[in-house]
Amino acid sequence: MSIEVLNKEKAAVNVGMGQIALLEGNGEAKSVLGSCIGLVLYHERRKVGAVGHIVLPLSQDRPGPPGKFADTAVPHMLDQLLEKGGNPAGLIAKMAGGANMFGSSGPLQIGDANFAKVEELLEGLGIPIIGRHIGGDKGRRISFENQTGDLIVEIMGETAVIL
Amino acid sequence: MTDATTTDPSLVLLSKMFAAATEHASVAMSGWTSGQVSLSLDKVQEVPLEEASSFLEMGDDLLTMVVLGIQGDFGGQLILTFDELNGRQLAAGLLGRDVNEESEWSALEQSAIMETGNILASAYLNELTRLTGHQLSPTAPHFLQDYGASVLEQAVMAQAMVSDHVMVCRTEFVFNNQAVNWNVVFVPCQELVDVMNQALRA
Repeated sequence: MSIEVLNKEKAAVNVGMGQIALLEGNGEAKSVLGSCIGLVLYHERRKVGAVGHIVLPLSQDRPGPPGKFADTAVPHMLDQLLEKGGNPAGLIAKMAGGANMFGSSGPLQIGDANFAKVEELLEGLGIPIIGRHIGGDKGRRISFENQTGDLIVEIMGETAVIL
Repeated sequence: MTDATTTDPSLVLLSKMFAAATEHASVAMSGWTSGQVSLSLDKVQEVPLEEASSFLEMGDDLLTMVVLGIQGDFGGQLILTFDELNGRQLAAGLLGRDVNEESEWSALEQSAIMETGNILASAYLNELTRLTGHQLSPTAPHFLQDYGASVLEQAVMAQAMVSDHVMVCRTEFVFNNQAVNWNVVFVPCQELVDVMNQALRA
């Protein structure tokens, strides 16, 4: 269920719920987010990046792919980047998502919890979050370009933002 | 895309239950639209979480949707999705007006479409209430235009909390005797799936 694709080509890989994509070279990854968090960990000098589509904050010993839960996704993404020479000291993070799609009255206000947990984990690891586009009640379409490190965030009816 | 569950006996039985609910909803919709709209069950499937949006063809296209929650003894979501043109035509027909060519939906158009969702969901859930013996009813409808996959993400969250697969049910629509790109996506919470399976085995 977890995709570990060394995407050195230009064609973008879609990162579905609970998946992680590992990128090198001019690889690209894309995803559509609601309450989930799209997390990018990136080593600019080594030009390696990992894009995770995180669904829930805590695994709580539940089975599932590592990308599904924030507390398994972040360590797993780190391990993958380390194998590719991505020194933790050189990593930065960008993230988007965490919306509450049905407004404050809808069920399972999980977007806020997802964001809070990812932020807490990154701060604990000393990985700086240099771009974030979080919250609200609208969906996001994201594209990550590994060569430039740009995370492009699109919301319907709004100008795209580049983190 | 993996598709290992279409012959699953429990899904086959669930399909019969959903087909009965869909038939009930079709009668209600036909009455509401003076015979213009009918629906039929398309598929019931259990798919891996990461494949749900592609299976339901709710990716990064912008969709017009009416979302209703399920309340009562159990929860879940019903999502009614439209392509823009036919959605506008339906609204125009219900309001007895020409099709609005402005880019934004008027409050009245939104209200007509939300009521459509309400009627459909009420009929659907009334039948499931009868079949399961558990009280189910829709919440107030919510109109939105957004990426389909974004909405689906939150709709499947209750199932995602307990499983890496989600059970979804999709329905096809016919509008003025032509198949149209509308769908109703029914995403029950896991407890409701379990109750439905129990009812079928009883």
